[in-house]
Amino acid sequence: MKFGLFYEISIPRPWTPEKERTVYNNCLEQVKLADELGFDHVWAVEHHFLEEYSHCSAPELFLTACAMVTKNIQVGHGIVVCVPEFNHPIKIAERTATLDILSGGRLHVGTGRSATWTELGGFRANPDTTKKSWDEFVRCLPKMWMQETFSYQGEFWSMPERTILPKPYQKPHPPMWVAVTSPGTEIDAADRGLGSLGLSFAGFDEQEKKIKEYRRRIKSCEPVGAFVNEQVATTNFLFCHEDEKTGVEMGKRLGNTFNYLATQLISTREVFSSPSYQSLGLLPALRRAATGPDANEQQTEGMAYGDPARIIRAVKKWESLGVDCINFILNANEVVPQDQVMASLRLFAKEVMPVFAKGSANKVAAE
Amino acid sequence: MPLYGTLDITQNAKALPTLGNLDTEAWTLPKAEMLQLLIEVPRSTTDGLLPKAMHPALPSYVILAVTRYSESPVGPFNLAVLRLGSRAGAHPRGFLLGAVASTVAAAKELRGRWGLPVEAGEVKFLRRHDRVMGTVAKGGKTILDCALVDPQPVAGTDVQYINWVTAANAPLDGQTQPMLIQVDPKYTFYKAERGKPQVSAFDAAAWNAGAITLADPIVGTCCTVDTDLPRIRFVMDPLKPVFQGTRRIRESRADE
Repeated sequence: MKFGLFYEISIPRPWTPEKERTVYNNCLEQVKLADELGFDHVWAVEHHFLEEYSHCSAPELFLTACAMVTKNIQVGHGIVVCVPEFNHPIKIAERTATLDILSGGRLHVGTGRSATWTELGGFRANPDTTKKSWDEFVRCLPKMWMQETFSYQGEFWSMPERTILPKPYQKPHPPMWVAVTSPGTEIDAADRGLGSLGLSFAGFDEQEKKIKEYRRRIKSCEPVGAFVNEQVATTNFLFCHEDEKTGVEMGKRLGNTFNYLATQLISTREVFSSPSYQSLGLLPALRRAATGPDANEQQTEGMAYGDPARIIRAVKKWESLGVDCINFILNANEVVPQDQVMASLRLFAKEVMPVFAKGSANKVAAE
Repeated sequence: MPLYGTLDITQNAKALPTLGNLDTEAWTLPKAEMLQLLIEVPRSTTDGLLPKAMHPALPSYVILAVTRYSESPVGPFNLAVLRLGSRAGAHPRGFLLGAVASTVAAAKELRGRWGLPVEAGEVKFLRRHDRVMGTVAKGGKTILDCALVDPQPVAGTDVQYINWVTAANAPLDGQTQPMLIQVDPKYTFYKAERGKPQVSAFDAAAWNAGAITLADPIVGTCCTVDTDLPRIRFVMDPLKPVFQGTRRIRESRADE
């Protein structure tokens, strides 16, 4: 089992220059510590216009800063929105290659298409075509990274022959993923040989079904890149505390705050009737859970908060379902004080991570 | 945390519809034809239109709807409504700003049974091959002239209608008081089309919509549905956040 951090970079009102800087600095401090503690990944999303929920519109810059203050932790640029109004594919190829070089070959590239009208409408993108444009982008990117020269004529973009520079440090290219929220996207991931970057908080049964289908389909995939990246990652909240009650209470507060902010987003389906957005993605489950920012109802099963023993039980369950990596959200709207986030990371690394270390005696003992 | 509306509906309670009770019977409304246009509006023009209990949708948008109800307990009628995109707690809702019904009887019943801010007027629903049109006039003045242009078939499953919230006075705990009422119709789709919204006349003041100006069209749909106006299940304190001030007054229907 691998462990990562997952950043939306949520910033509460009122927004002052100092507050945004403080939150970004908090995140960097967490990443630096996570690197020292042995966490495997740090992911940063690309979102635009999502007030309070995510101020992470330039993740490549944040991740570059992460790479500069760390040594080992892998940096996940994901998801990059593969819709031409958001990102030109040439620019994606160039900036990801640059980030891979600067990080010394530590880059993972997550892909996706955006799920909110706030973002798609903001860029005047057509929701009907985002799946198709994503498909074009993910097939082009590996070629743009690997081929000496590249030319392309597609439905959504084209270019005459040019040399796209620089090339990634990793050879043949960085691992590629796709965000999996809507039902069926795990099949899209498997068929293309992409890692499944789960961004929903579905319960065990639903996740197990998705993972089984992903594992089955990927055996016969035609990879878009030079290799198959068969990995399943899921997202979770992390708050680890010596006292279970304290850990659960703070974890719930974190989860409820995140969920409540997420449910304020205008999902594409809510306003734009389109066959391309049949599902509300992660929102239905969040709406069921998010009765209020301070609600105390039971949340989705398998959350990684509480004391180490409780978290170990949750992680072991995810591991038994076939999850390879859990990426943790550490904060939302800064409801968890920074010193407690740092203490939670330290305790998790001390008490939980060894249980899941490869070949760990602790792991055998715990089983 | 998310922004809240700033409207205190208790300050102008006399202007709100008043319900005799919260026990209204449901209406079944078969084969209704619903024209619905969603349009973004400047956030600054929606200030003060949304109750304090609710969160604004970001970006701000309105839902213009003109519906032909071919059967109802008060006979056939057309209804035009303007709703403001918003959130009741975690849930997307359309807060009713104004409504016009084509018959006096429909207007009276909709106000008295569900608290919809309906007035009687002239409401037309017109279908052409290249467009579906809705026009609304009050006192001889056109207050809405809109259309769904170039309708193309889509699946009913592609269309999502969000529930309504209306502000009204109603008796609760022995006292008639201003409250928010959730109206949550069900829909069974027979036909669905999607196209471009077009609005050639819109009088915001006539819809109790303050200074709202229509900005960026999102999408338009026209659907034929079996629908209803159900019994009232939830009411909300207009001044408390919805997650703190919601009361269930009736269990959900058997099909929920």
